[in-house]
Amino acid sequence: MLSQTIVNGLLLGGIYGLATIGFSMVWGVMGVINLAHGAYIMIGAYIAYVAFERFGIDPFLSIPIAMAILFVIGYGIQRLVVNRILKTGLLLSLALTFGINLILVDLVVLQFTSDLRSVRTGYAQSSIEIGSVLVPNVRLAVCVLALLLAWGFHQFLARTRAGQAILATALDRETARLMGINPLTVYALTAGAGAALAGAAGSLSSMLFPISPHLGNSFIGAVFVVTVLGGIGSLGGAIAAGFIYGLIQAFASSYLGVSTQEIVAFVFFLAVLVLRPQGLFGKRFFGENT
Amino acid sequence: MSARLHQPVSWQVWLLAAACLALTVALPFVVGNYWLRIWTTVLMYVAIAQGLNIIVGFAGYHSFGNAAFFGVGAYATGVAMAMGVPFLATLPIAAAVSALIAMAVGYPLLRLRGHYFAIATVALNVAFAELIINVGGVTGGAQGLPLPMSDQSPDVLYRKIYFLMLASAVGATVLVAWLGRSRFGFALRALKDSDSGAQAMGINTTRTRVVAWMMSAAVTGLVGGIWAYWLTFIEVTSAFDIGISVKGYIMMLIGGLGTVVGPVLGAVFFELFATLIWTRFGEVHNLVLGVLVCAVILLIPQGLLALAQSRIRKGKGTP
Repeated sequence: MLSQTIVNGLLLGGIYGLATIGFSMVWGVMGVINLAHGAYIMIGAYIAYVAFERFGIDPFLSIPIAMAILFVIGYGIQRLVVNRILKTGLLLSLALTFGINLILVDLVVLQFTSDLRSVRTGYAQSSIEIGSVLVPNVRLAVCVLALLLAWGFHQFLARTRAGQAILATALDRETARLMGINPLTVYALTAGAGAALAGAAGSLSSMLFPISPHLGNSFIGAVFVVTVLGGIGSLGGAIAAGFIYGLIQAFASSYLGVSTQEIVAFVFFLAVLVLRPQGLFGKRFFGENT
Repeated sequence: MSARLHQPVSWQVWLLAAACLALTVALPFVVGNYWLRIWTTVLMYVAIAQGLNIIVGFAGYHSFGNAAFFGVGAYATGVAMAMGVPFLATLPIAAAVSALIAMAVGYPLLRLRGHYFAIATVALNVAFAELIINVGGVTGGAQGLPLPMSDQSPDVLYRKIYFLMLASAVGATVLVAWLGRSRFGFALRALKDSDSGAQAMGINTTRTRVVAWMMSAAVTGLVGGIWAYWLTFIEVTSAFDIGISVKGYIMMLIGGLGTVVGPVLGAVFFELFATLIWTRFGEVHNLVLGVLVCAVILLIPQGLLALAQSRIRKGKGTP
């Protein structure tokens, strides 16, 4: 039971980490808590669903499509709407992204209704057994792919000019400006990349969870917790915290009952917030002061 | 902003306020049940928005999960009534329990600033909801909690609820108006501008913040209690709905935060508009609501009140 619990937690942790990276980066780079992030994840799941149902594309293969579409959505919303209110602070960006979330969720409801959907692939039920531990193939693949995508994003940040510009802006917006970096472009790029990762997380989770327009709402709580645990704007922190969060949930549900997993996670979260508000792996960053 | 709040109130404003109050008192004897329900909701949100105004508009702490106290108040009334306490006597209990919980969690949480505090309050809201589900027993847990039925006729009962909500809304507004001119209110605003500055002025910043949050919680818990009896059946998802906080927030924002009248205007405007959207657009009401929220933020980020004031000043020809 112990090893099974650990495996369950770790397998879910990858998807939590991937779902969080974009949210955490946006927060770290521009100080915006993007409440529409959950909607991005949900849209990613619907893209996987449509690709599978209408065109027969395997959910693993539709990830690039979801990422491309979500990049455009995230970039566009940032450029056209969110960039306008950045100077006015936290309150307005929270309310604004809440409004955007309402719009996106309702658009999906209009298109697909609120019925639960699912993606059933031929290999959904297969699993491998290691000793007494059961490892579902899909979950394993999802976790590995989530880590690969996170690694890819890390490479993007570390090795490309655009990635370096994002990191520089997160560190110190004013100095980044002096280096010829236009913050508004960087913000749009960050928002686009963040949305693309959310889309990938959504595509992957279409194979794990039932899909509904409210899928994002159940994700956003976890994303919040993982962001703060990992330290805002920290990619590695988000992944590590994703695994910690997955483990906490798995342990709580195996040993205390399924209904307690949320409360245990949130109590842990509150404790971390109070005792170590910069997160378990966090450093200071620019967006903190806005 | 403080200069504006401290101006002497002219007799026109008093007259307008008196007229509005007279209209709201007369309202339940004129309109039918449908509009009575809508106006009761409006008044409930006036109180919620004013409660938020205290902690957000004055103290500068973004309590995004203030609905936690709404739920606490609702359950305090529900549990107390299940134990045989008469309804009206449960309302002070609801307010007091909410304030006490705000005090208990306020000491650790109000040390956090900005985003961190905002998220912590959301987590608090979720944690309370989960707690009530897991405690079960007297709270009814996940099944929800039915309240004892009133033996009054619905007409009388709904009017009574309306007037209780009205009293709460007026009380909350008076409290905010008092904050606008009292020593305590100035201490709060000093603290919002600069914590260390306020400390240097001899303000006990920790205690001031906590007391402000207790006031906010008491107001929110009180209407939560009234709401519980109004619905006669409460469950965790509706009592701890994060949407209540968010709506209150947007109302405060639409009206203008840190002002006395702003949240009232915002609540009336937003709730009536939302109702209109509900009836006209049905299933896409959230879509229209979202567009409205975005439009307000992009076009009038200072709120309706500031917009109206700048129009009036332009009309008078003064800057």
